[in-house]
Amino acid sequence: MATAQAQGIKKYVAVYIALVVITAFQFFIGYQNLEGGALIVRMLTFGGIETLLVVFVLMNLSTEKRTFFNFFVFFMLFVLTTMNIIWTDSFRLLVFRLTNTGPS
Amino acid sequence: MTEATMSHAASSPHTPQVFEESPFSIPSKKLAMWLFIMSDIMTLAACFAAYAFLRNATPDWPRPFHSMTTVAVMTFLMLTTCLTMLIGLQAAQAGDKAGAFRWIMITGAGGLVFAGLHIREWMQMMAQGVGLFHNPWGTSAFGAAYYSITGFSLLHIGVGSIALLIVGIRYQGGRYKANDIEIMNLYWQFVSLAWLFIVPAVYLMNMAR
Repeated sequence: MATAQAQGIKKYVAVYIALVVITAFQFFIGYQNLEGGALIVRMLTFGGIETLLVVFVLMNLSTEKRTFFNFFVFFMLFVLTTMNIIWTDSFRLLVFRLTNTGPS
Repeated sequence: MTEATMSHAASSPHTPQVFEESPFSIPSKKLAMWLFIMSDIMTLAACFAAYAFLRNATPDWPRPFHSMTTVAVMTFLMLTTCLTMLIGLQAAQAGDKAGAFRWIMITGAGGLVFAGLHIREWMQMMAQGVGLFHNPWGTSAFGAAYYSITGFSLLHIGVGSIALLIVGIRYQGGRYKANDIEIMNLYWQFVSLAWLFIVPAVYLMNMAR
């Protein structure tokens, strides 16, 4: 039991170090003065990797029953996909503000 | 057979009762925490959607953050409390009550230090004139967006820290078991993940050029 416990902690320490490194990368990119899409893509990529590590390893979702795993993953993907409905109206508002037309 | 006889037969301890296998096979307390986390993800997603909408649609969005030192320290502290929480959980599952209590208290204390640093960050912003509906740099929506998203994180971590301390003390007293520590671990990892998304969205993408 002590060996299994030590191996479990080793796994968590490895993920912890990975998260620290990824976060350090994010801070490094933040200081690069990148603009717009390039910055967002990089941040979202690292955020996605962090999410996978935390949810599947630290929260032990990968050890749960497959039914629950699928329920959680598909539900969350649905929520995160549908929140992107905002972009059309956001760009419409930006164009109005930049061209000084329409509602402010 | 009369109704009384049938009722007696149904409630008899010798009557075999067949239940469907649970589709999730998960303790109900743990399922409740997962469902709570899912609802919290939706709330956080709505906050981020509103923030992204405003940020994208506003040409004069302020970029006031010059130094990331405090935020970096807070992030490192948060990640470290994730590890200490897991070490405490492992100790609880192995039956090491004293070790589990120690690591849970360390995690709770780390969370309270994080909350203190967060409030200090807020005080600095307020000292610079950033309010909910006004700030000295650009659009008035910046303050509301900043305080709402970071306030979401602060509230969850603050309450979570207090809950951790209570659960740790009750675990030490024998009222709670290792399963309850596992449930707190789920919550703590979630709030840490939320912070890992807030840092790039609110701070790193608004660094002063």
